[in-house]
Amino acid sequence: MTVWMPDDDGHADLSSHDSFSQGAPHNTFARLRRDDPVFWTEYAQGTGFWSITRHEDIVALNKQSILLSSAHGIRIEDQSPEEVIARRTFQETDGAEHMGTRIKVAKAFSKPVIAGFEAQIRELCIEILDDALPKGTFDATKLIARELPMRMLGRILGTPEEDLPWLVKKGDALIANTDPDFTDHVLDKMTTDEFRLMPFNSPAGAELYAYAKDLMARKNAAGDTNGILHLIMQPGPDGSVISDAEFRNFFCLLVAAGNDTTRYSIAAGLQAMCHQPELLNQMKSGEVWDTMADEVIRWATPALYFRRTATADLELHGKTIKAGDKVVYWFASGNRDEEAFDAPMRVNLARTPNKHLSFGQGGPHVCLGMWLARLEVRVLFEELSKRITGIEAAGPHKFLRSNFVGGIKSLPVTVHMS
Amino acid sequence: MKATWTLPDGSTKTADVAEGVSLMEAAVANNIPDIEGACGGCLSCATCHVFVGEAWLGKVGEVEVFEDAMLDSTDVERTDASRLSCQIKMSAALDGITVTVPSV
Repeated sequence: MTVWMPDDDGHADLSSHDSFSQGAPHNTFARLRRDDPVFWTEYAQGTGFWSITRHEDIVALNKQSILLSSAHGIRIEDQSPEEVIARRTFQETDGAEHMGTRIKVAKAFSKPVIAGFEAQIRELCIEILDDALPKGTFDATKLIARELPMRMLGRILGTPEEDLPWLVKKGDALIANTDPDFTDHVLDKMTTDEFRLMPFNSPAGAELYAYAKDLMARKNAAGDTNGILHLIMQPGPDGSVISDAEFRNFFCLLVAAGNDTTRYSIAAGLQAMCHQPELLNQMKSGEVWDTMADEVIRWATPALYFRRTATADLELHGKTIKAGDKVVYWFASGNRDEEAFDAPMRVNLARTPNKHLSFGQGGPHVCLGMWLARLEVRVLFEELSKRITGIEAAGPHKFLRSNFVGGIKSLPVTVHMS
Repeated sequence: MKATWTLPDGSTKTADVAEGVSLMEAAVANNIPDIEGACGGCLSCATCHVFVGEAWLGKVGEVEVFEDAMLDSTDVERTDASRLSCQIKMSAALDGITVTVPSV
């Protein structure tokens, strides 16, 4: 049986992006789950944080969204109150404020509405695969995984096709702001103070702000109300209206978070196919389409963690988490927890039930785009598995340098066609 | 106390549900199909939609504003019997409640 053997020494520094540059340090997470499930890490660039690594603990804490607030930042990096306000999206709000924004867009991202995109997604998949597969050997992240969510983003936002490569490049610069391949302003390597009120401390945030404003002006002038952006501008049932800053931040969130996560799920699925050749036959059997997307997304865990902040003292496994402490839910660890999953270090496309945490399930901030992600993943692999007889690695793959986004940024593969 | 789910295939499943536990939590714990409970009961998703049995409709309480909004996002279109089952907490008055899992 193929299993995956992580190669970290079991004592990786979780605050360091470099610890994740060969993939998540799963030996470290396994040790912490076993020996020290509420683990304190000192953090050179700010205050330390607690790591929660067991599946059951993440589930138990995630639902306590008053005790463990999102409103003080959701990444490990410290933010001043001024930065939190300037950069926040509904990801960084709690309770009724969060719901007030969320319900404006919930229907647009709901399962039945997203299901209506299936034919479009399939059409895009066919185009993308028809371009990529005849090359034989190519970078599958670049030519397959990156393409589908990018092109769907355009449909969701109602942006012109020709703007998409630029938008995605800026989205990459935001979310991969710790990887020098994606940004000239690497977060922990140079001062980004100039951009501290921008999303992800990035100049790309400023450019996306300007783009969003311009796009809405153009759409308004043309009377174009297609896409999700008009929905978010509408007053909610409680009468609240989104502010300009919140709108622009929401736009950045869609471009960055909604895009990369699906890309890296697809990339992880493709890499898993190279590593476990039986997965292609499982797909070809036609018996795993109801379950495979969740397993691929469990395996990928593109959002490695989200952070909360304790609003009162709490005790967990003999440790005292103090009010004000940062608490990090490591979904990457919960998704490999032996207590929650049989053979967690192996991809099983038929896995069911699959109570993975990649979407932040169990809490109010559960991924808004989860139906879209699942649909894109399933349809892409349906179309791929129809067209190939084999896929193998054509060289080493490379992960993003980030402890926040788990992603294979380059994935050389060779495909064999029937 | 007990609750019974009628499943999309027409079969039924009955489970013990403790006081104060929501029907969503009970469904997830008992692996009731198509009840995902993705947001843990925070009204951020609509993945615990059920149709409440007619005899119980008057006893499950009112639909609040956020639940009402989220019921517009369910996979199967809402009816007057629709509730998000995370908002139905077991109590003596609901012992024996029957709900139907919507069939896609």
